[in-house]
Amino acid sequence: MSAEQAPGDGRWAVETHGLTKRFGENIAVNGVELLVPRGCAFGYLGPNGAGKTTLIRVLLGLTHADAGTMFLLGHPVPKRRDQALARVGAIVDEPRFHSHLTGRQNLQILAAAREPAARDRIDPSLERVGILHRADDRVSKYSMGMRQRLGVAACLLGDPQLLILDEPMNGLDPAGMHEMRDMIVSLVAEGRTVVLSSHLLDEVQRTCDAVAIVDRGNIIHQGPISELLAGAALVLEVECSDPERAKRLVAGTTLGAQVVVSPQGLELTLPGGTDRGVTAEVNRILVEAGISVYRLQPVRASLEAWFLQVTSRLGDPE
Amino acid sequence: MTATSALDTRPDRRGSPIPTPAMIGTRFMELRRRRGLMATLVVVTVGIPTVFLVIRLLLHAFAPKSYGPAGGYNIFSGLVAGVMYVFGFIVAATLGATAGSNDLSEGMFRHLVVTGRSRLAIYLARIPAGLGIIVPLVALGFTVICAVCVFAAPTTISYQGANVPAGLSLPAFESWAGQHPDTVICDFPFRASTPPPAVPCGEGPGGRQGVKVFPVGPSGPLVPPQYTPDQLRAFAVQVATQDYPGYSAIFLAPSVSLMVRTGLWIELEAAVGFLVGLGLASLLGQRTVAVILMIVLEVVLTPIVSMAHLPHLSNLQRAVVGLATAHLEPGGLAFVFGGGGDRAANGGRVVSQLLPESRTVAVCVILAWLVGWTVLGAWRMVTRDA
Repeated sequence: MSAEQAPGDGRWAVETHGLTKRFGENIAVNGVELLVPRGCAFGYLGPNGAGKTTLIRVLLGLTHADAGTMFLLGHPVPKRRDQALARVGAIVDEPRFHSHLTGRQNLQILAAAREPAARDRIDPSLERVGILHRADDRVSKYSMGMRQRLGVAACLLGDPQLLILDEPMNGLDPAGMHEMRDMIVSLVAEGRTVVLSSHLLDEVQRTCDAVAIVDRGNIIHQGPISELLAGAALVLEVECSDPERAKRLVAGTTLGAQVVVSPQGLELTLPGGTDRGVTAEVNRILVEAGISVYRLQPVRASLEAWFLQVTSRLGDPE
Repeated sequence: MTATSALDTRPDRRGSPIPTPAMIGTRFMELRRRRGLMATLVVVTVGIPTVFLVIRLLLHAFAPKSYGPAGGYNIFSGLVAGVMYVFGFIVAATLGATAGSNDLSEGMFRHLVVTGRSRLAIYLARIPAGLGIIVPLVALGFTVICAVCVFAAPTTISYQGANVPAGLSLPAFESWAGQHPDTVICDFPFRASTPPPAVPCGEGPGGRQGVKVFPVGPSGPLVPPQYTPDQLRAFAVQVATQDYPGYSAIFLAPSVSLMVRTGLWIELEAAVGFLVGLGLASLLGQRTVAVILMIVLEVVLTPIVSMAHLPHLSNLQRAVVGLATAHLEPGGLAFVFGGGGDRAANGGRVVSQLLPESRTVAVCVILAWLVGWTVLGAWRMVTRDA
């Protein structure tokens, strides 16, 4: 990293350029260029071992980078690490605390390391994550979900402008996940930026405005989810009277569809960016050929489907 | 709670290596709430001396002829040099090792680093917090020892096997000797070429016969003819005059000055144990190995290194912190590590068998250990992946 880093662009909550982290021969973070806009929920997605947590650890100064520059809230890291982290809250991996202390006492330790005003935020933070009534119980008696909530409360102590949450849904029951989702939305509504690293693609799709897909240390794609899904493949499920003949007919057209015959009928996978009018075109081809069409349904492109398409794990053995 | 649009402008100094009082206070709270550790600290620093002294008090209360007083100078000296010196170091090292490793092992280190607070400040906050626990505990245990040893001290002292009133001035000691010539002549050491009086000192076969003499003449002790009682008293006074320095160095109870100096010395030993344990555990990243190493250092390595005289390794031996602190031991206490030499070979005086080391060198060694381990621990804390 260069000793004199240029000031970061204030528009971005997180900004990295050529960020690299190696563990011996293994490159966990490979020249990452990441731009996280302020005031949004940003999903950070990738399969296991993709380097998600390593990138977060580098950003937070938990481990050093081997190359590249990075900025948090416009402050260069690690040069102005103290200023950068003053308004950052983060959960990295599983949140762990001193188990012999109560939740409140753990937060007191963390608040003492922050600015004096952080001590006044302990109870509001505990209340916000819904464990104020258990604040004086020892953490050893907390469930995994409660520890996760305590981790979020710890993040809120600094009145953060940026929250980095690594798998925050882990250990939460469905109701807890719903509450966490609502809380993330409310945090964003308050003008904060939330970076959400998660394997739960559906949760990310429902919560985040933009995502970055990372695989084997590289960011494959980043941008708004709507743009990302617009480029996803379109899948048509067709139930008809003669699937085999229908397959041959569709394959013989210029639609460029991949056709698979399944017990339910046909499954047509059309290239990303295909116009929705293609549905009517398929219907016309089949009807004109005398094939009865019982059902023709475009399947909504999901982030999960897109994710599986673009990550290198596609086709890996289960 | 809403996001602030600008950073809090109040003084924060988050990047400063100096820990805030709040950091020290919460770190103190975190250590104090470890019930098992605190119970161990209290048992070792306060409980063991207290139980020992209470048993002695009870035994003396119920069987005063069989069991001597619970307190006194000798008990004080033995408890301080034999128990508190070693065990105080070990429990302080255990506390230090806990303070140096618990954030890492329990996952809190990461949370603390993410606050943006200087890692050095996080490390340094542990020092006053830990010392705030171990110093009062050692002081409490030491106070118990002092109180019992002062208030339950014997009324006479044993000098050369004879019961002698304590605290006599030289004239009073000579006067007492003139009143007890047989005891003085039979039991007290005497170095002179003048032939001593022949006083029967035993009570039949198997008892002591003759006088106790340290001959300085070429032909050894002589048995002169019988002396008159006045001559015996005069000779007893002569012996007492010669032995007064040795007698006056024995006390019923420790003096205030000795207790203060001993207390500071014990606290120094505990502080050394804590800081070295803290640095070592921070360096290793775990408590168990650090505690084992500290116990081995104090209980096995230091006594061996302190007593052994290895010609080419003496300077290396002097670099062991336990030997250095032993050399700062206040005069008048029993020697640590059982370092008392052969009395007969030293003319009746107890001489330390510790490897010689000047006080200046001892102080330098202690400072080097404190600074060295603190720097190592802090360096690892600053460079460690969280």
